[in-house]
Amino acid sequence: MALIEIEREEAVEEKEREPVRVTGLPFFPHFLLREVVVMCLIAGSLILLASLYPAGLLQPADPFTTPTPIYPEWYFLYVFGFLKFWTYDIGPIPAKVIGVTVPMVLWYGLLILVPFIDRNPSTELRKRKIAVALGVIALIAVLVLTYYGIVHGE
Amino acid sequence: MREQREVIIMTLYEKIYKWLDDRFKLGELLPPIVKHPAPVNVVSNPLYCLGGTAFLCFLILVVTGMFLAFYYKPTPDEAYKSVQNIMTAVPLGSLIRSIHHWAANTMIAAVMLHMIRIYFMGAYKKPRELNWVVGIFLLLTVTTFGFSGYLLPWDQLALWATKIGTGIAGSIPIIGGYISLILVGGNDIGAETMTRFFAIHVLILPAAIITLLGLHFLMVRIQGISGRL
Repeated sequence: MALIEIEREEAVEEKEREPVRVTGLPFFPHFLLREVVVMCLIAGSLILLASLYPAGLLQPADPFTTPTPIYPEWYFLYVFGFLKFWTYDIGPIPAKVIGVTVPMVLWYGLLILVPFIDRNPSTELRKRKIAVALGVIALIAVLVLTYYGIVHGE
Repeated sequence: MREQREVIIMTLYEKIYKWLDDRFKLGELLPPIVKHPAPVNVVSNPLYCLGGTAFLCFLILVVTGMFLAFYYKPTPDEAYKSVQNIMTAVPLGSLIRSIHHWAANTMIAAVMLHMIRIYFMGAYKKPRELNWVVGIFLLLTVTTFGFSGYLLPWDQLALWATKIGTGIAGSIPIIGGYISLILVGGNDIGAETMTRFFAIHVLILPAAIITLLGLHFLMVRIQGISGRL
C-alpha cells in the first residue's frame, strides 16, 4: 500500500511538471502508471474476495429435486424480474413471449441502436436532457426489475 | 568494478535493442505508442479505469481458466467430482477457482459500468458509433461467458439456473427454439448440454471475445479516447 501511495505522489508530481500548453499526457509512463496502480488494487481486491468468500459448490446436480429458491445469475435477474412482472397478453401474443422478448431482444436491439437514434452531437449533460432522462429511467427500471426478480424467486 | 558491470549491462541491452531495431524498426514503431497522448482528464478521472479493469479481469480469467481446464472433466459423472477435487485436493485450487469466480463477476460489473459511463458522457457519438456496437456485442459475449460457465460445476445451482436460462432463451419467438436446441442439444439438460457449454465456454467465446476486443482497442487506438471535459 505504501508503495502505491508513493507511486501516486510521483504521478502527481510528474503531471505538475508538464508544460501547461500540453493538453495530453503521454501514454507511457503517465497513463500506464495509473493503470498499473489500479491493476494492483483490483488484483489485490480479487485475491482478498476469493480468500474471504470462496466460490461455492452446492449438492451435486439432481434433476428430480428442485431447490428453492432458485435464481438466475445476478446479471440476468432483470430479465427474470420482467418475466415475473409482465403477466398481460397483448392480443394474440402471450404474456410469456413479451416477457422474454422485451428484456432480451428489444433491450439489446435498442442498446445497439443508441448512437444511431441519438443524433445530438453534444456531449454536455445539460444539452442532452432527453438522452440523460431516458438513460436514468432505463437504469432505474433495470434496478427495480432486478429487485423484483430477487423478491419473486421460484 | 560496479561501473564496469553496468557498462556491460547497458551494452547488452543496447545490443538487444539494436538487434530488434535492425529487424523490426523499433525506433519508428515504439514512440507513437509510448508517447501517444491521453487527455489529462482521462488520466485523473477514475471513471476511465472501468474498461481497463474489465480487461485486467479478462486476463486473470484467461490464466485461472487455463489452470482450471487442467483439472476439470466436462462429463456429468466426473464434473462435480473434479470441481470438488479442485476445491479440496489440488494445491491452491480453491483460491484459483475463487479468483476465477470473482474476476468473472467483477468483469461483468465493470463492463456494465463502463457502458453506463460511455452513455452518460456521450462517448458513443460520431465518430465512435461502431465501437459502441462492438461494445454491446462484448457485453453479450461476457454475459454468455458467465451463463455458460455457471453450468460447468454441475451442482444444483448450475443445473437449475441453466434450466431457467435455457427456458427463457427458448421462449424468444421464431429463433428461441433453435437457440435452445443448439444450447441444450436435446430435450433435457444432460451430457450433451455439458459438452456444448464447455465448448462454448473455452473455445467459441474466447475466439469471439479476442476478436471483439481487438476491434474495440483498434478503434480506440485510431480514434483516440473521447476526452470530454
